[in-house]
Parts: sequence; structure tokens; C-alpha cells
Amino acid sequence: MTTPIIETRGLGHAYGDVVALHGVDLSVPTGKVGLVGANGAGKTTFIKIMLGILSPTVGAVEVLGTDVATHTIDVRSRVGYMPEESCLPLSQSGADFVVYAAELAGIPRKAARQRASDVLGLVGLHEERFRFLGEYSTGMRQRAMLAQAIVHDPDLVLLDEPTAGLDPEGREEMLDLISRLGDFGINVIASSHVLTDIERTCDWVVMLDGGRVLRSGPLSGLTDEGAVEVEVIGDVEPVTAFLAGRGATVETDHQRLIVEYPGGDPYDLVLEALVDSNAGVRRLGARSTTLEDIFLGESPP
Amino acid sequence: MTNRGVVFDLGYVPHEGPRLATGSVMWAIVREGVRRVFAIRRHFRKKILPWLLVIAAVLPAVVFVGLAFFLSTFAPEAETPFGSHADYFSLVGAIVLLFCGLAAPELLIPDREEGVLAVYASRPLRAWHYLVARAIALGFTVAGFLVFPNLLLYLGFAAQDRSGFAQGLIGNADDLVRILATSVVYFLGYGAPAFLVASFAKRTAPATGVYLAIMLITPGLAEGLAESGATGSRYAALLSIAEHPPALRDWIFDRFGGSTLDKAGFDPWVSLLVIGLLVAAAATLALRRYRGYL
Repeated sequence: MTTPIIETRGLGHAYGDVVALHGVDLSVPTGKVGLVGANGAGKTTFIKIMLGILSPTVGAVEVLGTDVATHTIDVRSRVGYMPEESCLPLSQSGADFVVYAAELAGIPRKAARQRASDVLGLVGLHEERFRFLGEYSTGMRQRAMLAQAIVHDPDLVLLDEPTAGLDPEGREEMLDLISRLGDFGINVIASSHVLTDIERTCDWVVMLDGGRVLRSGPLSGLTDEGAVEVEVIGDVEPVTAFLAGRGATVETDHQRLIVEYPGGDPYDLVLEALVDSNAGVRRLGARSTTLEDIFLGESPP
Repeated sequence: MTNRGVVFDLGYVPHEGPRLATGSVMWAIVREGVRRVFAIRRHFRKKILPWLLVIAAVLPAVVFVGLAFFLSTFAPEAETPFGSHADYFSLVGAIVLLFCGLAAPELLIPDREEGVLAVYASRPLRAWHYLVARAIALGFTVAGFLVFPNLLLYLGFAAQDRSGFAQGLIGNADDLVRILATSVVYFLGYGAPAFLVASFAKRTAPATGVYLAIMLITPGLAEGLAESGATGSRYAALLSIAEHPPALRDWIFDRFGGSTLDKAGFDPWVSLLVIGLLVAAAATLALRRYRGYL
């Protein structure tokens, strides 16, 4: 069995009287993991605890099978971190900084230069690598931050709001890069409050709200509920009545119905209802549940 | 055979070589610190001040050595135009004070304010590794001001030695120990307060200003308080932070300095104790400051 990348037991952290994490129990498998939650949900606190920057007030956390509290250095030698805020020395060139970031992880100087060159190429900064970081655009800075996070070939990279402040084009490029990290054998934990970013890049999601875990599970299981979504032309009342009469659960939103029918094929039932009610149909298909639906459905009002 | 080129996308290549221990990582921080202080591979305008100070510290020694070798060849009976190592420390001491005020903030503040400490936090390091490496970087750069010109001076004195150059080197070998000891004292006495201020300041220029204000105002203040005549007022002389390294220098080179500390009747070991306390305070407070970052 593969070691989980993150395992927590009753993990909690408080800043004075303000509790940021409440008894978090998690076991997160290898792969690309999304950490989602609103601002202040506890994402950054959770990441800082994983890095050993903050100590848990209660509970314990293991990263890559290693206890962070007792083996902080061991954990840090296997992770990369891209913080939400800038972490770039603006008076240094991109190449110099990424070489230095590799040396800080114990990579010998010659290999560090080679790796920095490779990784800067990978993130699309090869041409710009000798420019000062202060002259980089926002998108280039984000890519430089990603480069320093992976230059030492970590087993796990923690990305805190990696698309923050990027324009749509830069965001697309960053998401593509994050998607590729899994192919390189690097596990990813990406925190974001933009749920669509997580849907695009990750295969497991941990939802945090107010310092508590709302849900932790594979994305495929979360978004596939077997429900059918139909948009009706005409009067929806007889259609709804027919479906309810046959034992289906129906959610109505104006002309849009979401139908769950555990007793049989929901498509056949919906077609029967439309024919019986003499109603038209604009759209019929599997319900596309988004992370946002789940998040809003599960978070307390 | 074809003459068409082929481009291979090697993609991501994992690192399969060795990973060096924490000592090597700290050495990388030291090297980066020295490069940063002297603005090597950085903007030209950042190079101006540190290199001007280097020139100011080293040039007199270079001129002296040139002059000493010239005189030893053409006018062997001439007296040495320079006083002693202690005099040179007096000259360079002011430059070192200014340099510490510039270098310590440059070593610590940009990393903290530009968020670079987050990168250190994801590397096999703790706060004390980082701080010790930065202190060593400051030590190396300060040593460049103190040890190097005094070594030149040592060569110059040997060149002027009437018993010959080699005999001059051997005969004055105990000066090497004095140079080293005095350099350490200056580094700790001037470097520790600079390190402490830089650990808390948000910007480099105000940090330099605060440090210089402390170091330049306290001697006058201490002297005024010490001479007030009130009971126990002589202890106020200990507040003259900038005068402790020169007091120890005079002791090491076996001469009387006439500082506020001497006038108040404090032995050199008291200055040593004060410098020790400053170093301990700077280390403790800096470590506390950095615990939330690393």
C-alpha cells in the first residue's frame, strides 16, 4: 500500500484565542490534491504546519510518512513550497536565484546550475533567466516561484494559491504546469479558493471551512452522482408531478430540473414525463456537479 | 544518413545525484551573503557604497606597503611612515562601524521583507542555521576590512625591518595573533548590535540610520552620564557600545586608549563581558524573531 502524502490525527492550531484548525483528521493519497476553502478557512495554516513553520496546538501530522514535529529537517528536504505572497529577491536574476534555491536543498553547485537551467526552461523562463526578478511580470514571477519550488526535485510540492493575481492567459499556463507536475512524479497539494482551478488540475480534494474538514475524497466520486439535468420548454409543473408520482426526487430551478431516480434509468423516466406532459426539452444530460455546488451545499450557512 | 536536425524534448529529469549535508547548505548561504553585501551580480548602484568602503579601508595599507618596499630598497634608514596595527585599527574601525550598519541590514532584511524566507522554510534548515550562516557571512566581509589590510601592513613592517624581510615576518609573528583577536572583537562588538537592529527593522536604510545613531550617540551620552558625579554614575560608561572594541584593542596591543571606559576605571575584561552579553542578546532575540518564519 502506498504511504499517504499527508496524514493528520486530531490536528488543531490556534492563534491566541482564534482557532484556525479544529481537530483535522485526514489521510490523503499520492497524486494531485486540491485544498479548497474560502479565505480564512485554514489553508495557509495547514500548509505552514506541514512545513514545520507552525507547530500544531494539538494533534500530529505526518508528511510523506514522516512526523513533521520530530523530523522537520527530513520533511523539508523532500518538499517544495510556492507561497501565496512573493518569495523572490528582486535584485537577483532568475537564474541566480533558482540555482541558489537548488543549493539550499543540498544539490551540488554544478548540478544546481544544470537543474536551474532545465527547470526554468520547463516553466517557460529560459529566455528571461538572466533578467533581474524585479523586472519580471506577475506571470513570470509566479513561474519563477514554481521553478524554485521544484528545482530540487521534491517528492511533494505545496502550492499556496498558485494562480493568485494572474490574468486569464497566465492562469491557464500555470494550471497546465501544475497538471504536468504529476507526470514528473511530483505529488502536489495546491490550495485555492478558485474551485474550477482545483477541478481542472487535481484528482483528490480536501475542503476546509472555518478550520474544519468538510470533505476529503476523490474528485470523480464527488462530482458523479448519477443525477440527470433537464431544461424544459413549457410548463414544468406536470413534468415535476409525473416524476414525483413515479418516486423520483426532483429539484426545481425555474425551467431546470435535477432528477434522481434510484429505482431505474432516470433518462427513460424523464422522456416518459416529457411525452406525458407534452413538454419540450432544451437540454438533457448528466448533472454536472461542480465543486462549488458541493462546497456551497455542505458548508454551514 | 540524413542532415536534418532532431530536437528531443527531454522533459523533466529527476535529480539522481548526491544531496549535500546541512553544513554545505549553510556554506551556500554564506557565499550568497558575501555576494549580496558586495552586490556581486547585482545592480551597479548597489555596488558603489560597499566598494567605496573597501577602497577606503584597504587603500592606505596598499600605499603603505608600496612605500615600505620602496623605502626598504632606496632609503633603508628611513623611519616607518605609519604608526602601528593599533593605529590602523583606529582608522579602519570607523569604516567597519559604517560597513556593519550597511551589511547586516542587507543580509537580513530583504529576505524577510521580500518573502524569501518562505524558500528557506522549504529547505532542510532551521532558523539558527540561517542566522549562523548570515553571521558568518558578515564575519567574512568584516574580516576583509580588518584582517586583509593589517596583513598588508604586517608585510610592510617586515619589509622595513632592519634585520631583513624574513626576520621581520618571524619577529613580528605575534602581531598576527593580535590582528586576528582584535578583528574578532571588532566583528562581535560592532556586528552584534547591527545584527540585532537588522533582525527587527523593516527597511535597510532606516536600519542603518538607527544603528549608526545608537553607535554614535551612546559614547557622548555615556560620557555625560559617567561624569555627572552621581552615585554609581561611572557604570553609565558601559553604555558606550562603540567604545568597547577599541578598549579591547588597546589592551590587546598593550597601549592606553583614554576612552570613557578607561576614565571610568573599567578593566578590559568588563568590555569583553559587555560584548559577550551583546552577542548573547542579539542571538537570542534574532532567534525568537525568526521562529515564526523558519
